[in-house]
Amino acid sequence: MKTVFEKSSAEIKGMEMPAPQVEKHIFAEGLLRDGLRLPELSEQEVARHYTALSKRAFGVDDGFYPLGSCTMKYNPKLHEKLAALAGFADVHPLTRADKIQGSLALIDTLNSYLCGITGMDAFTTQPCAGAHGEFLGLLLIKAYHASRGDGARTKVIIPDSAHGTNPASAVMAGFEVVHAGTDASGDIDLDALRALVGADTAALMLTNPSTLGLFEKNVLKIAEIVHDAGGLMYYDGANLNAVAGVVRPGDMGFDVVHLNLHKTFSAPHGGGGPGAGPVGCKKALVPFLPNPRIADTDEGFRFNYGKRSAGRVSAFYGNFGVLVKALAYIVTLGGEGIAQASETAVLNANYLREKMSLHYPIDTSRPCMHEFVVSMKKLKDDTGVTANDVAKALIDRGIHPPTIYFPLIVEEAMMFEPTETETKEGLDRAAEAFGEIVRLAYADPAAVKRAPVTTPIGRPDEAAAARHPVLVG
Amino acid sequence: MSDYISLTDKEREEMLSVLGVGSVRELFADIPAELGRLKVRLSQGRTQKETEELVSSFAARNKVYKSVFLGAGCYRHYIPAAVGAIVGREEFLTAYTPYQPEISQGILQAMFEYQTMMCSLTGMDVSNASHYSGATAAAEACLMCLGKTRTIGVYDNVNPDTLETVATYARARGVKVVVLPSSGGKAVPYEGEADAVYMESPNYFGLVEDVTAVADAVHIAGGKLVVGCNPVSLALFRTPAELGADIAVGDGQPLGLPMSFGGPSFGFITAKKEFTRKLPGRIVGETADAEGRRAFVLTLQAREQHIRREKASSNICSNQAHAALTASVYLSLMGSAGLRAVAETCAANAHYLADKLSEAGAPRVHKGEFFHEFVTDVKGKAAEIVCALDRQDILGGLVLSPDRILWCCTETVSKSDMDKVAETVGRVLK
Ligand SMILES: Cc1ncc(COP(=O)(O)O)c(C=O)c1O
Repeated sequence: MKTVFEKSSAEIKGMEMPAPQVEKHIFAEGLLRDGLRLPELSEQEVARHYTALSKRAFGVDDGFYPLGSCTMKYNPKLHEKLAALAGFADVHPLTRADKIQGSLALIDTLNSYLCGITGMDAFTTQPCAGAHGEFLGLLLIKAYHASRGDGARTKVIIPDSAHGTNPASAVMAGFEVVHAGTDASGDIDLDALRALVGADTAALMLTNPSTLGLFEKNVLKIAEIVHDAGGLMYYDGANLNAVAGVVRPGDMGFDVVHLNLHKTFSAPHGGGGPGAGPVGCKKALVPFLPNPRIADTDEGFRFNYGKRSAGRVSAFYGNFGVLVKALAYIVTLGGEGIAQASETAVLNANYLREKMSLHYPIDTSRPCMHEFVVSMKKLKDDTGVTANDVAKALIDRGIHPPTIYFPLIVEEAMMFEPTETETKEGLDRAAEAFGEIVRLAYADPAAVKRAPVTTPIGRPDEAAAARHPVLVG
Repeated sequence: MSDYISLTDKEREEMLSVLGVGSVRELFADIPAELGRLKVRLSQGRTQKETEELVSSFAARNKVYKSVFLGAGCYRHYIPAAVGAIVGREEFLTAYTPYQPEISQGILQAMFEYQTMMCSLTGMDVSNASHYSGATAAAEACLMCLGKTRTIGVYDNVNPDTLETVATYARARGVKVVVLPSSGGKAVPYEGEADAVYMESPNYFGLVEDVTAVADAVHIAGGKLVVGCNPVSLALFRTPAELGADIAVGDGQPLGLPMSFGGPSFGFITAKKEFTRKLPGRIVGETADAEGRRAFVLTLQAREQHIRREKASSNICSNQAHAALTASVYLSLMGSAGLRAVAETCAANAHYLADKLSEAGAPRVHKGEFFHEFVTDVKGKAAEIVCALDRQDILGGLVLSPDRILWCCTETVSKSDMDKVAETVGRVLK
């Protein structure tokens, strides 16, 4: 398809803006640029271009989207309407506190709900995504140790099943990464952990349920080992959708958590963002939260500036529009509804796994949480058909593929997360499609490798894209 | 409360019996009993109607002003209705990061076009597919330049939130931050050692800087120059690339995004070609499928956290894709003439107001050319002025000190609004 630039016509002048009611200002010639290349189209052409692009995309409303670790649940339409209210969207972040009591109250209310859900004592909404929250959460931990004169804690322990952002964030925060081994079911090896912790341990980062979709049974023991060594526990909240309203990270022994409002709390992913990654912590770390903090005083909500902040990580108060959506989600569901969502997410995942196991060997001996990982290694060994091939074949059957090749500890991994909003019919259909692809792989592997054939393009040459980067058009 | 769950009770029963369990809670058997006993207390659920009423009541407690003279990093511009209508399409809104290119060509192409537009505005060679905000874009751009001095210089006349964010990111990595001085509101060329120097033009006070003079000094000392800029101003001014910047960054909110209490907006990072493999986050490239059809993919992923983990160029995963899409749609609707008209009106209004305020007894504090923001001396009456304007449904400029107000004019303010501001300032100062 042509780019918006290729559709441009030099004759068209774009949207007409009102002429200034005052005299035009003339800048010195030397300051001014020569020309500016932007698309030049009529409004209808712009609408058609982007509508055509949208038809080459796949969202949650288009079909089943079991992208593991990403929690692609339904995004309520009401939330878009609410975030767009003039009372939110048309408000400047630097307006005097007494004129923006609604925004401050909203953030404060959301923070207290998030405290209730996680068992933390305070939250900040400044981080814009999960990884951004990890970075800030680790800075809180660093500031905490430093405040105690404990400068030797330079290492963060991360299981090898962790998401790539965990080690990358640890490095951004100035820590060294130590890898913790996991067993076949993704649980941390306790003896190995005991040998790893010490006076240099700043924290352990854990995703629970793990990225294998299994609840870390020994979490209390792990917390004890880390705490006894003087380290802190960091909770990557990407998988909270399994346990929100059921158990709280704070009770599991975690000291700092980040949540992904764009996962668990229904805010849409927008084709890659914006998200929101609020960070919560236990009392001992509260003084290090970034400024400004919001205080509920007798004269209403006010901004507070602490002296021991670990530092600002972005402008203003984070992705406020996303916070509105998360709050709307929480108040609609309520405590019971949130627990029911988690339970249903877990039921859907177990059901899908059970149905898929009729077609391909999948270990169902231990219940999974909200997601599960299937290794396609046997299929690959038997037929040459890979996890990637199966993913592409699912596309031809109207299903967005699961996450593939993550976690790295499982060969030919496919990670399915159906979420609570999917229908039973959708799950049944996906399991059937999966079975059909497995059978086809044995009968005619080349046919699977040709997939997808129903899409505007076939598999692109990604190696060529990286070898000869064409990044602008 | 359960509007968003699709299972019926009967289906639930069927599913449980397929799994051979009596209740859903049996599936949570791995959770230690002592954890499960703790009850999570939250409010009762609500109907959507009740939620709408409740959340709207928060919005009603914010004041929405008829006219806004406050900028300082967030700007009220006119947003054509077509922007929201287009970007609100669910395929854009509810998709994930385009990991599967065959069903994500629309999103990938839009990002490719976005990268092209950003490079066009800044004059740079390459762009990533967005960062969290202008502040984080500045921080990560400085980190891209890290070399042997492990020092980053930041001018004291940049947006204070950006300065603090750069400092947070730098110090986290043990990188030294030197705050560089300005004189008369403008950057003084810095000849000391630093891997990166960060400046803004227009700067926090709205002044157009002599970027080339700073670039020359930085380059002679062996460093790289990162320039933060307002994208609307780039419709008029020479590009940061032309002026000698190595990396140009900024916050994209002025390009068709509402103020939204400060977010979501997005940060852009554009750079000279040599920095391509150091850029943080997603980048889209053009390629072809086996039949030679044009295709777009996420590329150069060997930089990224999911491949490189602790050796990645950055930890960023989710970015601000939908906000960047919004900017692309806005720019497509505006075209070069439309964007230039917006910029010219902003500048015309700001210069008109500056003159009027000067006549009213509040002259500009700085000399030199400015874009759409400027600082005036209000002789200790800043708070009074802003209150008096508030009573007239006008959001005044940012109070920097009792003596100083930072004003901003976009194309959304009218001549009569500006006259009212000047008249009010004159009255208070009299
Ligand atoms: C387990 C896990 N941790 C962290 C992240 C990073 O979150 P974000 O993309 O919001 O930065 C993800 C995102 O996919 C994840 O799955």
